[in-house]
Amino acid sequence: MQMFLQSLVSGVLTGTLYAMIAVGLTIVFGVMRIINMAHGEMVMLGMFGAYWSYSLLHLDPFLSLLLWMPAMFLFGMVVYRFLLRKIIPGGELNSLLYTAGLSLLIANLALFLWTGDYRNINLPYGMLPARPFGISVSIPLAIAFGLALAITSLLSLFLSRTDTGRAIRATAQNPEAAALMGIEVGRIDMITFGLGTALAGASGVLLAPSLYLYPTVGEILIVKCFVIVVLGGLGSIPGAIAGGVLLGIVESLGSVYVSVAYKDGIGFVLFLLVLLFRPKGLFGVGRA
Amino acid sequence: MALLEVTDLGKNFGGLRAVSGLSFSLEADEILGLIGPNGAGKTTAFNLMAGFIPPSSGEVRLAGRNITGLKPHAIVKLGVARTFQVVKPFRKLSVLENVTLAAFLHCRRRDEAMAEARRILALLDLTDKAEGAASDLTLAQQKRLEIARCLATRPKILFLDEPMGGLNATEVEAACDLVLRLRRDGIAVILVEHHMQAIMRISDRVLVLHHGVPIADGRPEAVVRNPEVIRAYLGEGKT
Amino acid sequence: MPRFTLPALLAAALIAAPLLSTHSFVHHLLIMVLFSTLLGLSWNLLGGFAGQVSFGHSAFLGLGAYSTLLLYLKLGLSPWFGLLAGGAVAMAVAVPIGLICFRLRGPYFSLATLAVAEIIRLVALNWDDLTAGPQGLIITHLPATSILGQTVNWESKLPFYYLIAVLALLGMGLTHLVARSRLGAYLLAVREDLESAEAVGIDTVRTRVLALALSALLVGLAGGFYGLYFRYIDPDAVFSVALSVEMVFIAVVGGIATTAGPIVGAIVLVGISETFRTQFQSGHLIFYGLFMMLVIRYLPDGIWGRVRLALKQARER
Ligand SMILES: Nc1ncnc2c1ncn2[C@@H]1O[C@H](COP(=O)(O)OP(=O)(O)O)[C@@H](O)[C@H]1O
Ligand SMILES: [Mg+2]
Repeated sequence: MQMFLQSLVSGVLTGTLYAMIAVGLTIVFGVMRIINMAHGEMVMLGMFGAYWSYSLLHLDPFLSLLLWMPAMFLFGMVVYRFLLRKIIPGGELNSLLYTAGLSLLIANLALFLWTGDYRNINLPYGMLPARPFGISVSIPLAIAFGLALAITSLLSLFLSRTDTGRAIRATAQNPEAAALMGIEVGRIDMITFGLGTALAGASGVLLAPSLYLYPTVGEILIVKCFVIVVLGGLGSIPGAIAGGVLLGIVESLGSVYVSVAYKDGIGFVLFLLVLLFRPKGLFGVGRA
Repeated sequence: MALLEVTDLGKNFGGLRAVSGLSFSLEADEILGLIGPNGAGKTTAFNLMAGFIPPSSGEVRLAGRNITGLKPHAIVKLGVARTFQVVKPFRKLSVLENVTLAAFLHCRRRDEAMAEARRILALLDLTDKAEGAASDLTLAQQKRLEIARCLATRPKILFLDEPMGGLNATEVEAACDLVLRLRRDGIAVILVEHHMQAIMRISDRVLVLHHGVPIADGRPEAVVRNPEVIRAYLGEGKT
Repeated sequence: MPRFTLPALLAAALIAAPLLSTHSFVHHLLIMVLFSTLLGLSWNLLGGFAGQVSFGHSAFLGLGAYSTLLLYLKLGLSPWFGLLAGGAVAMAVAVPIGLICFRLRGPYFSLATLAVAEIIRLVALNWDDLTAGPQGLIITHLPATSILGQTVNWESKLPFYYLIAVLALLGMGLTHLVARSRLGAYLLAVREDLESAEAVGIDTVRTRVLALALSALLVGLAGGFYGLYFRYIDPDAVFSVALSVEMVFIAVVGGIATTAGPIVGAIVLVGISETFRTQFQSGHLIFYGLFMMLVIRYLPDGIWGRVRLALKQARER
């Protein structure tokens, strides 16, 4: 029982961070209908950002969020404005392949610059876990969890309460109608891509103290993202959150009760089962 | 027996009843006008009958055979073709290739399919565009290309979804003549159109949908004088 | 130009190429170009013609490689039959995956390919009894075969060269046939617009599954070749993301939905990789990424697609 609770808790904590990454992927898909294959690399950049500002400037990773999240937002807008904008009208196929090229480029530039070494951040307050109710909880992971919740809630407030947010949702529902209503779809695309990138970067920063970081970590993260968005329904934000938490729990329980070796595989099998039986996602909100 | 027989067809999108209780039949040599305000469910009715979305209720029979729930490509093979309200040509392929593709349904060999495609393109006055890309056509030409594609599948019934939307007066005139000629060639047509003069001129019968429900079915002159139909259209004007 | 001139020239060039040099490294490079061509052809059938992007194609390559080597090592089946069996196994695994993913509209297939590749890699890594896990499989001895009365032992690179040349020609022949047939037209229709394809009577699920099956067959054969040529495979080598990415690169850079494009793509790929691999580790991957982005932006039909267009325009003038 203790063990079950333990893995449930760590599953929820990790899953919330997965969810945040997947939300970034899913809003970009919702608005622009493209799967950003370089999304995992955006997370990786966030991780390395946190790592370097910690090891060079002694900036606490969670504090460095204030630096890296806006930076990644700008980076995303720049990538959209100067790289993607011309590609998107060429169709889904081109954007998919183009972002795959971008992913290769970023990951391997990072590999060239920073080598393939595994790195980690050892926070002084991360040495010993907290033990509420006898369950051991990593403190950096718990902080990351709290911040991820806060950021995701702020995002949904932004989407429902501000004009720009509402324009984003309108564009996601129907780009032609949105354009007719006077929404500048190009600007909305740019902001959305910036937001997606900022979310990815921020989750990278939050994950940095809890995971090993290396330049090609994006590869495995993007695959997890795919699993999540399919579980939750492609294009749906609540779906991505639920899917993320679910995947976190499944992986964590799976590594205890099935096998550590197949921990990642369990999520993928779940993914295929969902495609087979519930293609609109477990909650039936996705759009194909 | 009617060529097409629709019984109590219905579709719900979540809570929205886009189509309900739709029943009618179509004879082999008939042009049926299907009209109704925007959002009345006309396109949805086409999607249901052509197999693009599964109905929530009801049945569609083609020459007595139940075709409800078949995949679109299977329904096309049985002789029911449709165009799209928002045209969907194969944009990067040539006009000729667009139609050749469709002609492959009945001609296995490429040269036969191409010959058939050229014949149909001539019929629709697209011969001099044949080698160009489909995306380079004007809207009127793209709408004709979609009809050409349909014809290449040798349909018995053609569903036309607003084939005259966005066309100028001469083009509308030409489109009307085309529909009449198709009927002479033995193809039954269901025509969704907002252009009332065109509908009045070429339809044998008119069916009116309002909020997904059929409210009138009869000869064009009778239908336009039907008070319920007038109210449906005026009601739309007020909102 | 008569119809058979180009293929005949190509075949003659392929036969003559290795005779120009006795250097075994040159032979190795030629083998890698043809091997890459086969990979590109495979990916192109599915991704280029049918527009179904696979990011996990190494899964099928690995299945082919493992099948070939396992059949030889465990059952003593001649590797030359094993090669064919490898293609068949890859195809047999591909079909159900296609049936699951292609019922859906949207990018589900692309998403699923990565997951499937990962599942298969994990299985290969952990099913020690069958695959020897991370240790991999080694062939120490390949039996000599007799072809046309000649005894061929597999010590030099030349026999491998001709084997892969035959496979690559097979792939090109298949692509050429598909491109000119009804299936080829249907694949393009599916790529351009699924709904319109259905509306002209195309069974879009069956068409895409067929493309995937043919594609898996080719890459499965390539996998068998890989195993025999390198005589060593392990899960991380054959189920690698890098190999999957190379397939995408070859097809995109050479020219999507062309028959000859993958040769061009393969030459560029081997060129980049040989130039930069020696300079710095995995540096070539930077250039793969960069090249792919540049080609999609400025030459969306790929290098060969562009050349073909220029030739056509020149002829019309
Ligand atoms: N795929 C769909 N999902 C949800 N609602 C839909 C869908 N397609 C159509 N609708 C709704 O069904 C109603 C009928 O639409 P439609 O058939 O397009 O009308 P018409 O063609 O008569 O203008 C509209 O309210 C429309 O918003
Ligand atoms: Mg409509």
